[in-house]
Amino acid sequence: MRALFVIGCTLGLLLFACAAVQTRRAVAAGEPCDRACLTGLVDQYLSAMVAHDPSRLPLAPNVQFTEDGVPLKIGDALWATATGLGNYKLYFAEPPAGAVGAFALIQENGTPAILELRLKVVNRRITEIETLVARKETTNFLNTDNLTEPRPIFLETVPASDRPSRQEMVSMVSKYFDGIEQGNGDIVPFDPDCIRIENGIQTCPSSASSALGALSCGAQLSTKIFTYIQSVSPRRFPIVDDERGLVLAIVRFNHPGSQQTVEVPGHGKMTMGRYSQWPNSTEIAELFKIKNRKIKEISAVIVTQPYKAPTGWE
Amino acid sequence: MVVLGVHPSSARAANESCDRACLNGFVDQYLDAVVAHDPSHLPLAPKVKFTEDGQQLELGDGFWRTASDRGTYKFYMDDPVAGQVVFFGTMREAGTPVSLVLRLKIEKRKIAEIETIVVREGMNPSRPTDTGAENFEKLGGPDPLFLEEIPPAERISRDELARTANKYFSGMQQNDGKGDYSFFADDCSRVENGMQATRGTDTMASGSSQRSSSSYGALAGCKAQFQSGLLHFVTRIRDRRFVVLDTEHGVALAFIFFDHAAGNTRTFQTPDGKTVTAGPTTPWTWEMAEAFKVEKGQIRRIQAIFHRCPYGMNSGWSTWADAMSDKARW
Repeated sequence: MRALFVIGCTLGLLLFACAAVQTRRAVAAGEPCDRACLTGLVDQYLSAMVAHDPSRLPLAPNVQFTEDGVPLKIGDALWATATGLGNYKLYFAEPPAGAVGAFALIQENGTPAILELRLKVVNRRITEIETLVARKETTNFLNTDNLTEPRPIFLETVPASDRPSRQEMVSMVSKYFDGIEQGNGDIVPFDPDCIRIENGIQTCPSSASSALGALSCGAQLSTKIFTYIQSVSPRRFPIVDDERGLVLAIVRFNHPGSQQTVEVPGHGKMTMGRYSQWPNSTEIAELFKIKNRKIKEISAVIVTQPYKAPTGWE
Repeated sequence: MVVLGVHPSSARAANESCDRACLNGFVDQYLDAVVAHDPSHLPLAPKVKFTEDGQQLELGDGFWRTASDRGTYKFYMDDPVAGQVVFFGTMREAGTPVSLVLRLKIEKRKIAEIETIVVREGMNPSRPTDTGAENFEKLGGPDPLFLEEIPPAERISRDELARTANKYFSGMQQNDGKGDYSFFADDCSRVENGMQATRGTDTMASGSSQRSSSSYGALAGCKAQFQSGLLHFVTRIRDRRFVVLDTEHGVALAFIFFDHAAGNTRTFQTPDGKTVTAGPTTPWTWEMAEAFKVEKGQIRRIQAIFHRCPYGMNSGWSTWADAMSDKARW
């Protein structure tokens, strides 16, 4: 068909009409999906999901869908159980890559859960759907009570002159994961007032009764209390939203379960977190706010997985 | 030349077959190596594959790092024809009792495949201390019926054994209470993670309390539970791999996944007209190994070890299409 079309145009037949059609085709095929277009698709996705009706979406023929690292048919899993949306919706996008993501509070058979959604969009069609769902039924480490609206810092726009390159932003975030592996907060470009919220729970600094909870994000790492996380691998950085200074990392923390205690200077021998107790992994979608070239805030959606379970996109 | 060539290879084939004692010996050798954290002395096939909880790992990783001792419950299921053995047992992981399913495939007296499920504390947040291990150890050993030989005249084929056991999965998937459940013996009972999951036998299952129940677990026998239609929320039993078919003992063992889609399948009507809402409220999959004792064409005993896994997960031993299919394979 395309060959005939080209021949027709080349012959000069219906020249004007050919030019007009070609322009329309170019727009339809290559029209970029800007931030509004991308976040619109997220809204469309969430609405379709709650309606249990994937046919409402502009899906590419070979679209891939995972929930918690498992490839599934669209319509299965959360598509069958989602019963409503909350007010908490935090969007981030990288229009040149056709990438958009969201953290959103959802209702599942009436119980709140946290959804992390990543879409890849090509020619205005969804080609990739990656989701993680943190549920009360599958983890005790979850609190949705405070997820009423996104924290304003994630919505702040970074002045164009202050935006680091994609590579620089990814490098800063990767140092955070290096710092976890090495038990060394000093190598991570933390803002001194950095805050981390995981599954709705603030974990650094935290008000938890743990002796180390009140320490800063960097100081916590340096106690080596997280060295049960033997590796942070694989690591992906599918969305870098330079306009807002945001990086979405999707990573797997691997906990072999062979080191359960650690010697913390000034505190003696301490038992590490519950994930240190047996071989398991956590798949984490972690959003970093970078401001003044420092990690200012971190928000994460965490799902416990079998040890070294694939994330589905390696 | 040809004749001379046949004799040595026949002799080698005989040497390379692995009978029940040989298969069980491999299990013991393997578990002792696990506790010693040292796979280096195992007789491994060059392309040995190892999975733990559905994930392919390097041998020496996962439970190999953390196992601290063997437990007292031991149940070996052998299939010398297929060169496979499955072991249900208890172990200690950093001192904590855990339940273990181990499958070994032996080729030419080498371990070619290693599949494990380790049921650990905390894998099911709703029952954080239920690994099943303590229950198993209280039982002491497998139900003696599993160990009894079937008289030669009553033995059925491997195909028939698998087909009979598979009726259990087909009857449970989207159970409506209206099927032909005559494949259950009247004295059928089921043990799940060391706990009795049937409350007696179907000979006891005729009272009005049985009919008025809205929970299958309160019902007496295997057949009564299926006839109740209360298991409808099990939406899909998939990736049904029958890996042990022991015709001498009438034992079939399958690895399977039970999916609970948790959507509109949670609300359903039972055969007696009740509208019931039951089952998990979130997408939920059990990764499971289930053993059946089949006698005279009927299932008399069922024993399962399982835990929660990511919804829709693959076993690591199937294509995606097979993993999602509810067709039995053997």
